[in-house]
Amino acid sequence: MNRAARETARRIGAALAALFVAGIAAAGTPGIAGEVDAKGLAQRVARESGRVVLVNFWATWCVPCREEFPELSRLQAKYGPRGLQVLGVSTDFASQMPAVEKFLAEQKPRFPNYRKKSGGDDQQFIDAVETSWRGELPFSVLFARDGKKARALSGKHTYREYEREILKLLN
Amino acid sequence: MRPARTFLLLAGALTLSGALQAAAPQVGGPAPRFTLTTVDGKTFSLADAARSHKAVVVMFIATKCPYSNAYNERMRDMAAAYEKQGILFAGINSNKTEPADEVIAHAKQHGFGFSLMKDPDNRVADLYDARHTPEIFVVDPDGKVRYHGRIDENYEEPAKVASPDLKNALDALLAGRPIAKAETKAFGCSIKRV
Repeated sequence: MNRAARETARRIGAALAALFVAGIAAAGTPGIAGEVDAKGLAQRVARESGRVVLVNFWATWCVPCREEFPELSRLQAKYGPRGLQVLGVSTDFASQMPAVEKFLAEQKPRFPNYRKKSGGDDQQFIDAVETSWRGELPFSVLFARDGKKARALSGKHTYREYEREILKLLN
Repeated sequence: MRPARTFLLLAGALTLSGALQAAAPQVGGPAPRFTLTTVDGKTFSLADAARSHKAVVVMFIATKCPYSNAYNERMRDMAAAYEKQGILFAGINSNKTEPADEVIAHAKQHGFGFSLMKDPDNRVADLYDARHTPEIFVVDPDGKVRYHGRIDENYEEPAKVASPDLKNALDALLAGRPIAKAETKAFGCSIKRV
């Protein structure tokens, strides 16, 4: 292969790679979709009115969070067509963003993920989300189709445990 | 507030609670009594410790949790400083995933001078409804909880702490003043229960 042919092959390869990356992004498996504070999160949940919403708070340093994360993707895949929307919220600090992006690139979640905005006192965020929450991670909140908070789930849960709670709201 | 509304709010809170164990002791209420064996083989009785000190700081901590580990030096230094003033610090590791030999090695690595104990089957964590690490309860000589929550609000940057809540609580107790902020919250690692 001469030099011109090698260059053409390289360009075609680069173009295909770009298309592949664009396809992944379009399929909804990007990194962090944005930053949210408590008010922004409430607005984001409100945008899903008519759907059951599961908000899961996680962090890369939290082992049980990482363990249950794939189950949330499976739940989104199975119950998304019936009206479930999972939203992830990373509580990692800005300095931990490389680890967050790496984790999301590996996991390829089927749901959007946000990062809790830096600054301020975490207690205000925690209390605004759910007063029974004491800051433990993972932590999840389920919202019914009418947007009302229906259930708070402290700690790691299995696929079946989440499914049971979700089905109560979907059916 | 009208009784019916109060009931509805309480019912809502119960419905939303994810905790499976007993409710956390309330600030001002009795601290559940417990006796554990320290990692160096001594008996630790909360009731005895509380009676013989100005306060006992019960700390649910971990060896692997980054949030708990961020406070290793702060816990070590506060324990050393306040024990001179009659306040006893006690660390409890309730994680089933962190055995006693790991707890001992971790304490040695970080120069902990306070009592440390494993909590078999997380019984004490359940008594306190402790959910994550680090989580702190301060108990006074009458056996009452006087403070519950975090060490401070800034796990990441000790030099930039704006709200040293545990320190403020202990200073208030020593001075005989009311504790202005007796309940606080922060993120932390869930306790790995059996």
